[in-house]
Amino acid sequence: MSHATNRECLIEAVGLERTYYRGETPVKALRGVDIQIEKGEFMAIMGPSGSGKSTMMNLLGCLDKPTAGQYRFDGVEINKLDDMELSRFRNRRVGFIFQSFNLINQLTVMENVELPLMYAGITREERRERARKLLDNVKLSHRLDHFPNELSGGENQRVAAARALVVNPDIILADEPTGNLDTKTGEEIMNLIAGLHEQGVTIVLVTHDVWVANWAERIIQMKDGKILQEFREKITADMLQL
Amino acid sequence: MDYREYLEIGYKSITQHKLRSFLTMLGVIFGVGAVIAMMSIAGGAQKAALEQIKLLGTNNIRVKQVELTGEQRDEAEFRGSMGLSLRDVNLIPQVVPGVEAVAPIKIFDVEIRHQDLKAPGRVVGTSTQYDEVVNFYPEEGRFISDLDVLEAKKVCILGVDIAKELFKLNNPIGEKVKIEENWYTVVGVMQTKAIRKDKSTVIEVRNMNRDVYIPISTMFNRLLSFEMYDNMNELAVRINNQDLVIPAAKILERMLLRTHKGIRDFEIVIPRQLLAQAQRTQQIFNVVMGAIAAISLLVGGIGIMNIMLATVTERIKEIGIRRAIGATERDIMLQFLNETVFISVSGGIIGIFMGALMAEVITRYAEWDTVISGIAIVSAFGISVLVGVVFGMYPAQKAARMDPIQALRSE
Repeated sequence: MSHATNRECLIEAVGLERTYYRGETPVKALRGVDIQIEKGEFMAIMGPSGSGKSTMMNLLGCLDKPTAGQYRFDGVEINKLDDMELSRFRNRRVGFIFQSFNLINQLTVMENVELPLMYAGITREERRERARKLLDNVKLSHRLDHFPNELSGGENQRVAAARALVVNPDIILADEPTGNLDTKTGEEIMNLIAGLHEQGVTIVLVTHDVWVANWAERIIQMKDGKILQEFREKITADMLQL
Repeated sequence: MDYREYLEIGYKSITQHKLRSFLTMLGVIFGVGAVIAMMSIAGGAQKAALEQIKLLGTNNIRVKQVELTGEQRDEAEFRGSMGLSLRDVNLIPQVVPGVEAVAPIKIFDVEIRHQDLKAPGRVVGTSTQYDEVVNFYPEEGRFISDLDVLEAKKVCILGVDIAKELFKLNNPIGEKVKIEENWYTVVGVMQTKAIRKDKSTVIEVRNMNRDVYIPISTMFNRLLSFEMYDNMNELAVRINNQDLVIPAAKILERMLLRTHKGIRDFEIVIPRQLLAQAQRTQQIFNVVMGAIAAISLLVGGIGIMNIMLATVTERIKEIGIRRAIGATERDIMLQFLNETVFISVSGGIIGIFMGALMAEVITRYAEWDTVISGIAIVSAFGISVLVGVVFGMYPAQKAARMDPIQALRSE
């Protein structure tokens, strides 16, 4: 690697391809992506819709398996895992933050944050304790027994962040985390994410907002299922080849 | 994830949609209700039949006189059949193997009097062995003795109802009662015999608590005209081994046909066989009710499956979220399967109560005995679990196999 670093490699993908079938027609969402992500890195993926960034995100988050190519997560070959192992992998090592929060509306804030720990088989007492601590960190201690639809967008996204963090994942994948928020709340959330990064959490975020992308250390621009260019400095909109 | 967590999820999901869950349960409620009602009716009928058979005695054969009419009667007179006679009574133990005792039963309806009290009763002329054959003994005093029969003594043993009506709380033993023109000394009072009041029974059993027993010889001497000597109403035969009952009955029938000159003026009743017959009738009833229950459960199960499929579609997003944060296919499957089982078991429990209620109503208005057994409750519970598993499997699998990415993307 050209840039000087002594951080360990967390993710290593070589020639990643992913083809979907929409009916009979194959759709090549990824056409050979090589990427490395180091532990503690903060990376943003940019690109227009259809560029393959969502597919990239799903693969990075172990929600999906590549059609071709190799994907190693902390040395583990993801292609070879079955559903049980892949689910466990997602559960313990990946935290998702989505644009639309994706909280379960029938569960309280507390229960939503506890949920990943439940699938991890952790006892109720420990779950409660950990969830409470995380919710305290995102300043939602007063909302524990509320339901997501009783909360504001910013609060919901903080719950989602707490849920993502509660398992102490190796990586946080944020898909347009500020997409549904106003500027002020968006900034709050970005501050929260930047704070996580400072604590050493690896973060990959997908966005097409230049302002959001500029929070990251590294920006990757994707187009037509490939990486088009990579930046290691702050960018402006006209630097992107659209 | 331990099982309690799934249970909790199931419980929550049901309580969040109370009306829908209740409507979903209806099929199972009725199905299980029918199962319980059916089994309690069957259990009651079984119990009733057994009780009746016990009244008659399982090791007994009853020979009943058949009233002949018209040509048959002329034929009997012509050939000289005497009907059920004392001769038969004496002959049976010699001819039929395994006979322990034979008691003649001659019934004569008459009023029993004591001082100025009267009670409608039934005088039964019989012999010493009656109490053993019928398995019905005096509570106080004694039964007819050999000497009573030999000397045609004027003694009697009162049925418990008659004793109460004539003597109230006084001890009747040693007292005298008047039957027709003669006074009889009371030497015993019979036990209380359980009787059944309903009409759903296959065997007619008279209320033996109104019987007054006197020696058959006394009856011939004092109550009957000469022409009525023969023609016992009934002979009760007790066999010493229950396996011999049916072969003995066959031999008995052949013997009686011979002594009655080939005239079939008697009928052989084997309580044991009647029991089997009653059970066969019961089986038909069970098949019909079972079919109703099965159809109801099938419809109920399909109803549950239908709702669960809708629920799965409605909750695709939730499935996607759960999968993203680490739920395995198996977790999702168990979650939905558990919800279905929760619904069907809840329905089953309500159904058990409803079945019990139906049984109660049937007992009260149709006057059928019903018995709700532990087995019925356990099997109803098992059936509702089974319905949940069988009909929940497909929706649960559908939920589990959903592509997490598409599930997450759906709105």
